[in-house]
Amino acid sequence: MISLDKLSKRFGDRTAVDALSFEVPPGQIVGFLGPNGAGKSTTLKMLTGMIEPSGGRATVCGFDLQTQPVEVKRNVGFVPESGAVFESLTGLEYLEMVGALYGIPQNAARARIKQFIAFFDLSFETLTDKLLGAYSKGMRRKVVITSALLHNPPVVFFDEPLDGLDANAAVGFKALIQMLAREGKTIVYSSHILDVVERVCHRVIIIDKGKLLLDGKPDELVAAHNSGTLEKLFTQLTGGTELERRAEDFARTFRP
Amino acid sequence: MNGTEITVPSFFPEAPPTPEKTLRRLFLTLFLRGRSLRGLSRQGASGAPKSIAEKLAWVLVSYLAFGCFALFFLRQPVFALAVYLHAMTFVFLGMFVAASAGEILFNREEADILLHRPVSPRAVLWAKVRVLVEISLWLAGAFNLVGLFVGFGSGGNWRFPVVHIFSTTLEALFCTGCVVLVYQLCLRWFGRERLENLMTVSQVIVSIAAVMASQILPQIVMHVDRILNVSELSWRVNLLPPAWFAGLDDAFSGSGLLGSWILAAIGLGATALVLWIAFDKLARDYEIGLQALNETVSTPIKRGSRRLIVRLVNLPPLSWWLREPVTRASFLLTTAYLIRDRDVKLRVYPGIAPMLIIPFIFLVQNHGRGGSNDPGFIVTFSGIYLGMVPLLGLQMLQFSQQWQASDIFRLAPLRGPAAICHGARRAVLCLLALPTILLVALIVWLMRGNLSQLALFLPGIIALPVFALVPNLGGHGVPLSQPPDAAKSATRGLNMIVVMIIALALAGVASLSWKQGWFWWLVPGEAVVAISLYSVMRLALAKANWPSNE
Repeated sequence: MISLDKLSKRFGDRTAVDALSFEVPPGQIVGFLGPNGAGKSTTLKMLTGMIEPSGGRATVCGFDLQTQPVEVKRNVGFVPESGAVFESLTGLEYLEMVGALYGIPQNAARARIKQFIAFFDLSFETLTDKLLGAYSKGMRRKVVITSALLHNPPVVFFDEPLDGLDANAAVGFKALIQMLAREGKTIVYSSHILDVVERVCHRVIIIDKGKLLLDGKPDELVAAHNSGTLEKLFTQLTGGTELERRAEDFARTFRP
Repeated sequence: MNGTEITVPSFFPEAPPTPEKTLRRLFLTLFLRGRSLRGLSRQGASGAPKSIAEKLAWVLVSYLAFGCFALFFLRQPVFALAVYLHAMTFVFLGMFVAASAGEILFNREEADILLHRPVSPRAVLWAKVRVLVEISLWLAGAFNLVGLFVGFGSGGNWRFPVVHIFSTTLEALFCTGCVVLVYQLCLRWFGRERLENLMTVSQVIVSIAAVMASQILPQIVMHVDRILNVSELSWRVNLLPPAWFAGLDDAFSGSGLLGSWILAAIGLGATALVLWIAFDKLARDYEIGLQALNETVSTPIKRGSRRLIVRLVNLPPLSWWLREPVTRASFLLTTAYLIRDRDVKLRVYPGIAPMLIIPFIFLVQNHGRGGSNDPGFIVTFSGIYLGMVPLLGLQMLQFSQQWQASDIFRLAPLRGPAAICHGARRAVLCLLALPTILLVALIVWLMRGNLSQLALFLPGIIALPVFALVPNLGGHGVPLSQPPDAAKSATRGLNMIVVMIIALALAGVASLSWKQGWFWWLVPGEAVVAISLYSVMRLALAKANWPSNE
């Protein structure tokens, strides 16, 4: 469903993504991990057609990223980390606008939106009477997730989707993406909350400095590296050494 | 879920709309409402929120009123009326498009929302341009409305309104196309980082050109019989876009002379060429620009000027003036934004430029007439006018695209915004007011060759600290704390008018005192009043609490 072949992105002299290659079949949830600045968001932006690769090739749903970008975009949903929305639209106006960009007839879009707001426990009045600028962060995130799934895409990219969601919404969301995967959707899930990734994802890809470090099933990787948890494996791989001792030393500097 | 029963009018009443139509509707809504709002709810189910639309309505009314000047052309040939209408329209549209295009064409937040949707960058560009042209036509329509009837009722025939609407539409397309083309060429030749600086420079130039045009045009109009006759036009007129579109009006509904047809042909050809290059040949550059907005890599900043400011802040006299750490931090923050931030630079410098140019025009005009007008009044007026630079600068510095980050001021253990405002005010005084005053003083000295006349700047310089505190009255005017959409406020204009009236009155009194020999009594008197006012205003600011951010 997703295929990367030596996909690269350079910004001037700096290589953000360095010849990344992997494939993701339908129905799989892939945890896409890496420390800050590893190139995760840049990779997701390339795979959603937001920025152009500097080298390599990628296809999504069989469409080539460089020659068929609009077809790729039609088949993916994306929840960006920023959670940006047009603040001066109401939630309903925003979602109808997104639906229209995917060519969804108005009645169908509104019916679908009602299903989403029921799932997320949003009130229809909030969606119609309040501008998005007045929404809480969690409510806004729910609208952004709805806008990514509204057109029923076969591939969905999530970049820190739980940011701002309350505990109930987060539990519901995790269950939702597992069910969506069972329905055959391909999900790429980028997050720093590693225990969630460990529980939800079928497979984990860890990158650092734009390069692929590790690719496999979470339990198998943890067992193979004898690390106990995915979090410990991650810190081992990405150079997070002696974190607890460093925290202890730093905390001492706060003593009067 | 109870809400499913509610019937709400759809944002897109016809189904299914094309992506192009959707985008056009979206950008128009965003333009009219503004892009960012803090805690604002819709007023009623179907109405738009209190918004830029209301302000735009007032702008349209004022354009309509200003358009009444066309009545002076009732007995003029069609070409003279058309040149006047197109020249003024060109100035208004040029300023509007140049001021709006940067924000509309390259909005950083928008990239995360739209770039992964199935629409081509070309469709996005076209939708934005259509909105720019649409709003331009509203403005042009309001200004030209009276002119349409004047043209019909004077030398023109029944074709004038029809042809003039067509030529004004072409003019709006030409203006928008030119601005988009400049952006694209800058992107192609200089890259995005340089583009931002170039756009600041070009907006400053457009603002100055508009102010100069507004000063020079009335003089042309006063001699309209002598110079605005198509058959007697210099070949240089062929270079002026308003003349092309005026030629179109004159060719179809006026004299119909060969010269008019040539101008009309140039206008049509130039518009077609600009549109073809901007929206076909260089459309790809816009796509690259949009994607560049979304690239998160950090570009190295030029450290030279910044290091210099940090060094200066650590040296007397600035280190004495900025002893208080919050004021010092606010000073550095404000200077950083005045030097680096594209959004702030695009608002502040083009806004300040006309302040500099108006005294200059007065001085040049008076010099050209052999100093026939009262030199005392003009120099004093220049000084007081320049005293308003910090007022305008601080008013514009309230707005920033990163306005939400200013919450950190409220989180800091400060009773109110006084220290933050003092830092910003001092930065504006150092970076904007001082260089501007020195420059105009130099011009006055060079033009009048008399150092003693520089004393006439004193009333303005004495009033300057008081003017600079006006934006902070009641604890308002906290730097970088308001969304940029709020910058289009009618109150700001009103404040400026009030201060300008005060400036004119002060200049009149100072000039009279200079003539009658009691100027050196006026200066200490004004100083006492200014110090008293300054002290009261500072005290009020020190006691002010944080203004509501709802």
